[in-house]
Amino acid sequence: MYYLKVKNLTLGYGNDIVIKNLNLSLKFNTNYQIIGRNGAGKSTLLDFISNNFQGNFFDSRIEVERIRILQISNKVTLIENLSLMENCYYFTHEDSISKESISLILEEYEVHHFKDELIQNFSSGMVKRSELALAQIINPEILCIDEPVNYLDNEGIEILKKLLKKRTDNKKSNILSSQESLDVFEDKYEIIDLNVY
Amino acid sequence: MFIKNFLIRKELLSEYRNNTSLFLITPTMAVLVLVFPILSENRFVVDDDFFIINQLLFLIIFTTLFSIRNPLNQNKLIRELNFGNIHRSYFFRFKTLSEFIIFFPQALILLALFSLFTNTEIKSSLFYIIISVIFFSINSIMVNVVFQMFTSFSNRFVQFILMVPVFMSLSFFVAPIWLGINPNLTNIYLLMYLGISILISSYTSWFLQKDLK
Repeated sequence: MYYLKVKNLTLGYGNDIVIKNLNLSLKFNTNYQIIGRNGAGKSTLLDFISNNFQGNFFDSRIEVERIRILQISNKVTLIENLSLMENCYYFTHEDSISKESISLILEEYEVHHFKDELIQNFSSGMVKRSELALAQIINPEILCIDEPVNYLDNEGIEILKKLLKKRTDNKKSNILSSQESLDVFEDKYEIIDLNVY
Repeated sequence: MFIKNFLIRKELLSEYRNNTSLFLITPTMAVLVLVFPILSENRFVVDDDFFIINQLLFLIIFTTLFSIRNPLNQNKLIRELNFGNIHRSYFFRFKTLSEFIIFFPQALILLALFSLFTNTEIKSSLFYIIISVIFFSINSIMVNVVFQMFTSFSNRFVQFILMVPVFMSLSFFVAPIWLGINPNLTNIYLLMYLGISILISSYTSWFLQKDLK
């Protein structure tokens, strides 16, 4: 079953076209890796999939199912003048998950020591870990991660792999984008190669 | 739950930790209020030309207050709302409400300081003053939020230039109410404010709903 089907997807900013005539169908319960060189449109496609695209659509046919898609981009999404714990309450709407469960997950991602620190004082790696922890707390149907290993150390990459494995076991989908195919999925995945477009 | 506490809490916390917070700006503005009549007229008491000075002061104060707020970056805002699965119309409503909670006491403080430092009696009844400040605040805030949500101007100077006429027209309406004009005229002014509020909020609701289809 598909949650997104597009025909002749053409996306751009102003008059500049970034992705041209892309046909794409994304299935539930399947992992994807978007690969492509610099400027191939990986981040643009990921923004489009996660409903964060702010550019122009040109004559594209889009069928989409409304589900929770969460994107971890290269830019910081967390609110910088709130602490990590306050961010967790904000993005989980305060009432959907207990404080203890949040603390446990933050501990798993080794960011619990900083839970009362403001995000603006975090390093890029800590921000990425915190966003991954939030992704586990929110547990969306689809998780999109742009350049997933950027800013992460070896330990962080192991944490990322664990998260992807856990999500795959729970029949949730993940979409990653990077220049080359990454060895982060334990199970099989499909490749969307933007170099051929 | 009808009231989205998490949105209000986030806005209030952000405001509290903001370096250009209204909590800092208001005392600065109070100094301006104190100094301006002295500089312009070389005296504290303002009488016949109070109307013009009042408008000028409020124009300076409110445009400055809003132009130094943290601008909303549309791209970042959309990412944030999608990340938290927050409906845009909820955001608009509760952003307006939180801004009002921040702004309303500041507007009253400014009004009191203005009256105190310029030794000027405000002639309207307390009821009219409160109602007019509420309308003034709501309208200014809604214009500010709508403007920031639908444009990608993150430059404070551009914001300042574009928003001056909006606040100027809003302050033209509010100044006579504080001066204590005829009650019938006051009612008309308040109705005009109500009309503007309904117009802005209905347009925004329509725009946000349309955008989601």
